[in-house]
Amino acid sequence: MSAWTASDIMALCLARLLRTGETVFHGVASPLPLVAILAAKRLSPPGPVYLNITGGVDASPRRLPKSTDDPELLAGSASLFGLADIFDLAARGGLDTAFIGAAQIDGSCRLNSSVIGPFDRPKVRLPGGAGSAVLVPNAKRTLVWRTKHDPRSFPARVDFVTSMGGIDRVVTPLCVFRNAGGRLVLESIHPGVGFDEVAAATGFPLAAISAPATPAPSAAEMAALAAVDPGRLRDIEFA
Amino acid sequence: MIGMSKLVGLAEAAAMIPDGAVVAMGGNVMHRSPAALARALARRGARGLHFVKTAAAYDADLLCACGCLASVSAGYVGYESEFGLAPHYRKAVESGSVEAREHACYTIITALRAAIQGVSFLPVKGLEGSDLPAARGWKTVSDPYTGAVFVAIPAIRPDWAVIHVQEADRLGNGRILGPRYEDVLLAKASRNVILTAERVVDRLDCAIEAVDISGFMVSAVVAAPGGARPCSCAGRYGIDVPGTRSLVESPVGSAADAHLSLYARNDGGAL
Repeated sequence: MSAWTASDIMALCLARLLRTGETVFHGVASPLPLVAILAAKRLSPPGPVYLNITGGVDASPRRLPKSTDDPELLAGSASLFGLADIFDLAARGGLDTAFIGAAQIDGSCRLNSSVIGPFDRPKVRLPGGAGSAVLVPNAKRTLVWRTKHDPRSFPARVDFVTSMGGIDRVVTPLCVFRNAGGRLVLESIHPGVGFDEVAAATGFPLAAISAPATPAPSAAEMAALAAVDPGRLRDIEFA
Repeated sequence: MIGMSKLVGLAEAAAMIPDGAVVAMGGNVMHRSPAALARALARRGARGLHFVKTAAAYDADLLCACGCLASVSAGYVGYESEFGLAPHYRKAVESGSVEAREHACYTIITALRAAIQGVSFLPVKGLEGSDLPAARGWKTVSDPYTGAVFVAIPAIRPDWAVIHVQEADRLGNGRILGPRYEDVLLAKASRNVILTAERVVDRLDCAIEAVDISGFMVSAVVAAPGGARPCSCAGRYGIDVPGTRSLVESPVGSAADAHLSLYARNDGGAL
């Protein structure tokens, strides 16, 4: 048994991508991005400028709420910068990074959070893409995470394109994909996961036959996760 | 205080909203939703309402469970990670009884801003590559100066906005503590506003800069302590987990009677 979980390495893969001084936003239903942002700020202070739906700017929540638009995510903020402000910031080219989740992600960097089946009479009505249809094209880059990695979540073609465009990386429990000219390619495979396992779990063909291993979590990274998320909110999407 | 008190009861306020109206609800997902007023609409058997919100959970799901809605215009309808998808909304849309008018949250904001400015649409930046404009019938508009093309979002002018605040006076001046979400936009975009409030006071005890809603836009004020439950209300209470579960776990397609009676005392003894 390894000393870290899929949620640990996913949170850290997302945290490693963040840079000090950049503006970063997560929306609703985004526990892993919340943990990743706080971990990045702890590992490399002051870290990114953290924006969320409540209007918090660099908030320092006293406990991590299960809902990622909870008023607690305003705690410690010195000013208010609300959701409309964030969308406007993205529209004028000022939002560096948006975290976006999706039910389906295909090899052409397209995301579906809307429907399975036809839009007007869906087999499954999903919650909807929230801000993704505008943030994915407008933010300088989009980081995507999904805690399920199977062929239904990573199909050859999404049922509906809720959003597409500026996807930079996709982080899963098995690997990290990056966008190479509009195609998702393997950037790294997490330690202990085989290439064949990733290929079997992915509904679109992988361009390479191997990829380097994702660096295992360091002691400092694991300590940062334990400090910012002692209650392991990061596990909630794996329940 | 100069002017007439707008204080009414919960049922009276719900009766002001006619069947078929476009109703925008304040708050966000499970936070500061006007839940008691949504239950009052369900108790009066409202039908054919068109629901508007950037990101909804309990309010839209309850109104779907009780057969009150014809459509939902929203960027997101779901309970987030703890409770998952909104089962009653999902069933209503999949069975064809409710139309899902999916938006990006920003396009709801843009549609409200158009209504605020008195124009029939506003251009929005983004949506490139998305199937949403075609699915929703949104057209494009060219910038007459540069030729740049934008999606034109039709205005949404709600007949009613219903907003739960921590404090209001009897004239409808309202104060929101904690996150405002899109509530000030909702109030300005709508023809009529109902405020439900944790506390109704003679005079708001704060600087005028801290007053979010101007009373002259407000038609009715309801004293509704606990009026956001089972949603949270910043500074007052958190999410009521068993209360949320009682709706989420109600049999899909049921009238949610047991759930409504669970909140009868909270809602001032309403049945």
